[in-house]
Amino acid sequence: MLRSLSLYWRLVGVQIRAQLQYRTNFWFDVITAGMMTIISFGSLALIIQRFGSIAGWSLAELAFLYGMVEAAFGVMDMLFSGFDPGTFGRQVRLGLLDQLMLRPVDVVLQIFSSDLALRRLGRITQGAFVFILAIYWLDISWTLPKVLYLPLVFFSMVCFFGGLFVIGSAVTFWTVDSIEVMNIFTYGGAEMMSYPMNIYSNWMRRVFTYIIPAIFLNYYPALFFLDKPDPFGMPSVVYWLSPVVGFCTLWLGLSFFSFGLRNYQSTGT
Amino acid sequence: MNQVSHQSVPLIQVEKLCKQFTVRKHHLGTLAFMRNLFSLQVRVIKAVDDVSFSIQPGEIVGYIGPNGAGKSTTIKILTGLLVPSGGDVRVDGYLPWRDRIAYVRRIGVVFGQRTTLWWDLPVIESFELLRHVYSIPNTRFQQNLAEFRRILELDEFLDTPVRSLSLGQRMRADLCAALLHEPKLLFLDEPTIGLDVVAKERIRQFILHINKQRQVTVLLTTHDLSDVEKLCERVMILDQGRLLFDGDINHLILRFGGQRRLVVDFVENYPLIQVEGAHVLSRNGFQVTFQFDRQSVTASELIGRLSLQYRIGDLQVLEPDIEETVRNIYEQGLLYDHE
Repeated sequence: MLRSLSLYWRLVGVQIRAQLQYRTNFWFDVITAGMMTIISFGSLALIIQRFGSIAGWSLAELAFLYGMVEAAFGVMDMLFSGFDPGTFGRQVRLGLLDQLMLRPVDVVLQIFSSDLALRRLGRITQGAFVFILAIYWLDISWTLPKVLYLPLVFFSMVCFFGGLFVIGSAVTFWTVDSIEVMNIFTYGGAEMMSYPMNIYSNWMRRVFTYIIPAIFLNYYPALFFLDKPDPFGMPSVVYWLSPVVGFCTLWLGLSFFSFGLRNYQSTGT
Repeated sequence: MNQVSHQSVPLIQVEKLCKQFTVRKHHLGTLAFMRNLFSLQVRVIKAVDDVSFSIQPGEIVGYIGPNGAGKSTTIKILTGLLVPSGGDVRVDGYLPWRDRIAYVRRIGVVFGQRTTLWWDLPVIESFELLRHVYSIPNTRFQQNLAEFRRILELDEFLDTPVRSLSLGQRMRADLCAALLHEPKLLFLDEPTIGLDVVAKERIRQFILHINKQRQVTVLLTTHDLSDVEKLCERVMILDQGRLLFDGDINHLILRFGGQRRLVVDFVENYPLIQVEGAHVLSRNGFQVTFQFDRQSVTASELIGRLSLQYRIGDLQVLEPDIEETVRNIYEQGLLYDHE
């Protein structure tokens, strides 16, 4: 484990140094990515100002949801850069896996350490900025469970998005045509989770409750942090399901990935 | 060498190895893409078909065959990248694909077509990373690196990023990378592909060096038969997934080399030359090239017959080279006939 960690830092350190060689390019990427977040949240804020709130959620409460999703997705996008389905599929066709499998190190660890896209820092800082602003605006009554649960929820969301990324890259073992479909789940899922669930129609909410249980990741925890009533009358355990959903998705993703890897070994495609 | 090694335990043991690929049938014509989407028709390709061989420690074995013969598939199975469809493979006591991490630590692999080095890093930094990837003790690493630097003449491009290396330089760097962790067994897939004569020679000298000095066993696939001729005592020929020949190179030539040639410089011009057991292949002034079959007549008999009738100035016997021999085998299906 310790060896894995030190190897991870050594390998990823090389990638980071390579990125920093092109300094202008790096800052340009960071700033544009950050601007995207600010612009998209800014336009949301302008709309809210006209209506006062969306489905009972004030601008500050929306910022709480939005900022957390943005920052979590950004962190995931950075940590899981090696699994980005688009680039991963291309690398596999270029023989990346053969190269990784010839080294005496776990393949998943090697993919993790093959890239750490620092330019995601733009999205992360802007998301964090919106989130901190929300906490500053809101008058959250902080209790010990809330303080302890907040980082766990954040971490669970990183795991959830990460799991989706890993599933997306595993699919490219079979086909490269499905990347667009996976993008609907990853990017679309993040977009959808930035808004309160009660703005969606019933069937959509059911999909995100029972099929892809994204509703438990941030919506229910947000109700808990902000002391808002549950409009759907679910049992109170749902407030605590975020880590379960997050870790299960990542575990599922990694299992599916090793299944894909075994299939790759037997078909050689 | 051979006497001793046949009694020892084989390093590679392959028995009845099979690898089949299923390929989806592709339809052509209108609406073909729809049929491709839903079609379940598959075609089974036998890439490796019932191949058995064993390799002793210390051997250099050439593994040759035309494109698509199944060479790369075999190498991929032996290096743990592919799981076979059938048969047994044991390499140094390991099942390559099952015990991957423990196994790849003990082997070196070089694919001529692509590099294992980090594309954007200077060569020396790639080596440093490999030191950590393989957990090579630093003193051993430094010793090995010093030796390989000297023999492969790496110093001139050690600080150059891999992407800027010439093909020959890259191959030398890759060979070094594959051996820093002191593997007992080295797989080389087309190690001299695309290289010029000088670069090829340097690579071959290095392979011989590590085989002699470090007792590294080498299995190499190649299209360049001069690689085989200069490096290997033993050759395996694969065609359409089947092992057609496994044995001594000289034996191969003896058995299938067929025609030898005798080049004679006569002292005067003979418009009509006839000799029993050989026929004239070409003439160039006083120089005449005969072709004869090794089974029907020996070179000395032929020379004797010629010198009885004609005045000979100089002569030379040409052995068929392996390239010609193998071409004969492929083109005429010689090995199939002999089975």
